[in-house]
Amino acid sequence: MKNRSTSRSAFLVWTTGFLFCLGLSNIYAQNDEKYRVRLRADYVKIMEGDAYLNIKATAKIEDETLPVPNLEIAVYNEVEGEEIILGNTKTNMKGESRFLLNKSDLKADSTNTFNLGISFKGNDSFKKASKSTSFKDAHIEANLISKDSINYLTATLKETVTDSLLVGEALDVQVQRLFRPLKIGEEFNFTDENGTILVPIDKGIPGLDGNLIIEVVLNDSDSYGTVKAIVNAPVGTPIVDESTFDQRKMWSARNKTPIFLLIFINLTIAVIYGLFILLISNLFRISKN
Amino acid sequence: MTKYESLINDLAPRKFGKRGTIWTFILVVIIIIGLIAYIDQIRQGQVVTNMRDYALWGIYISNFVFFVATSFVGSATVAVLRLTNNSWRTPVVRIAEIISLASIVMAGFTIMIDMGRPDRLLNLFIYARLQSPITWDVIIIPTSIILSFLLLYFPLLPDLAILKKHHLKTKPTFSKWYGKLSLNWTGSKAQKAIQSKSIKIIAIMVIPVGILLQTIDAWLFSTTYRIGWDSTNMGAYFTSGAFVAGLGALITVVYVIRKVRGLEHYITDYHFDKLAQYLLVTCLAYVYFNINEYLIPIFNAPAEEEIHLNALVYGDYAGIFWFSQIVGLILPILILLFKKGRKPLPMLIVGIMVVLGSWWKRYIIVTPTLLHPFLPIEGVPESWHHYFPSIHEWLITVATLAMALLIITLFVRFLPVIPIQRTAEEKGLLKTDKKAES
Repeated sequence: MKNRSTSRSAFLVWTTGFLFCLGLSNIYAQNDEKYRVRLRADYVKIMEGDAYLNIKATAKIEDETLPVPNLEIAVYNEVEGEEIILGNTKTNMKGESRFLLNKSDLKADSTNTFNLGISFKGNDSFKKASKSTSFKDAHIEANLISKDSINYLTATLKETVTDSLLVGEALDVQVQRLFRPLKIGEEFNFTDENGTILVPIDKGIPGLDGNLIIEVVLNDSDSYGTVKAIVNAPVGTPIVDESTFDQRKMWSARNKTPIFLLIFINLTIAVIYGLFILLISNLFRISKN
Repeated sequence: MTKYESLINDLAPRKFGKRGTIWTFILVVIIIIGLIAYIDQIRQGQVVTNMRDYALWGIYISNFVFFVATSFVGSATVAVLRLTNNSWRTPVVRIAEIISLASIVMAGFTIMIDMGRPDRLLNLFIYARLQSPITWDVIIIPTSIILSFLLLYFPLLPDLAILKKHHLKTKPTFSKWYGKLSLNWTGSKAQKAIQSKSIKIIAIMVIPVGILLQTIDAWLFSTTYRIGWDSTNMGAYFTSGAFVAGLGALITVVYVIRKVRGLEHYITDYHFDKLAQYLLVTCLAYVYFNINEYLIPIFNAPAEEEIHLNALVYGDYAGIFWFSQIVGLILPILILLFKKGRKPLPMLIVGIMVVLGSWWKRYIIVTPTLLHPFLPIEGVPESWHHYFPSIHEWLITVATLAMALLIITLFVRFLPVIPIQRTAEEKGLLKTDKKAES
């Protein structure tokens, strides 16, 4: 009878253990399915500034397109079938990375086209992936001019190597702002036969000290990528500074504490700690009595 | 043996028995484990916690708020009852003072535990910005520690002198220490006058300082423009909550000490009944502030507030929310309404319910708000959208609670938990004035 109950208990313990292990194996089992990464590489050139690749990695996971962070990506330059590694980069928490290009390192092919590629060699969760982008070097020359008391922005778009004017390309003209740029001029400003646009700048656009930072952008062109020229134009309306930075406010720096607060807190501290001193001196008086 | 000697025998601190030793040992072990976890936290950084960009305050801060609330028991019982001349306070007042000191000391430690770089603690004073409620907190906590200490120490002086005499032959070392700590107390008129005046000053100070402490603690939250915290009700809400938490802790500790030390003749059913009535009133006040805090936003809340309230009432935090409201507040009120519920044993259960409810209540005040920002949580790993304390956080937090209990335990071991002199006077066992004069 005793043996029977022992074996029953042993069976129960074994079954519980087995089911528990099954549960554990389910929790820790590796998901064999690897996700496909989608890479995107956009070339951006800032006139008299940096040129870089904007890289973005996403993956479709459970019907939702999500950014892929911490992805190691190699960047290379393809020249006549040869891949010259330019460097490596890693995506941030938004699945993005900006890879700065050293213009002197880049080599073009016989058609003056630069062929850049990015590749990810795969890991436990994602399959390998690659993406390439091609562009020719273009530049924008932008200037501020004034005619009949009206300010204009003029910009000329040229292909750098051939120095040929680029006609019929749409350029965006916009004022830099914190969240998104403020577009000015027509919706589409196409370059004329001189490769030039002329956009009037409205009066009354606010800027710090009246300075406007105006961008002329060839946006995401198939042949040239994104090319951006920046012009500082002192033609805006100065913003009146309403900052309380130098005033004594509750939100100011510590050396700008409001006077009432300084008095109230220090007075409270003085009263309380004054009483503490009195009480501690009373302890001494008790011990002397 | 005279009645007076018998009273001293009853109330003088005693060596721990087997249970007391085991209890102390367990507390020490928990503290050591917590200390190891804390050292590891310092070594590795706060990455060992589950606090991240959004949930940047977690269990440490809710535990800190709990300690601050519990420390209010000093103001609640000692000062309020003293100033309203409630003589029933005598047997519980010292226990309240001990809890108050232990809690506020541990509140100070807990805030340091939450700091990523505790070595920069001094910067809080050096670079203090007086507009910040955090600076006010940094000022008020050491102030409260000093005040709680004085609140405990002044009334202790006559008892320490009694213990010096009591232990003169049996424990000369103890007697020597009690003598030193009693500051040559002889009970002279002059000494009594100074002591009485000092206690009066402390009793008056304790109330505004206690309210300041609770209010500043509340303002740490309500001065930030965040859902669930941005409320003008917060100061009063925290103060009424502190009454409840403090009295809950007091009732629990009083019951345990009474049982362990066999003080049934001194802490009677009458005292529990009085404590129960006091707790009942404070619970009702707290219910009122809870209604203000949670019901009004249901009428006029913006969408974000609604998300927050839904998470509390039906969502992820519903379990903890309803536990703290029902177990920590509603059930105690219902129990305390009946005379049978105001007996010692039901009161112990009520005390434990209130303390547990109060602790979790602080958790749901701190954490859910942080995970409901105005702008959606984006660009962070999925795990950062949630918060539940890590093992390190639990071990350290439990250790701080154990540390508070150890401080209380040590005070109980070495100090008379019921004022001897005052009890003797109330029982007419001392002709104090004549003795002092002679």
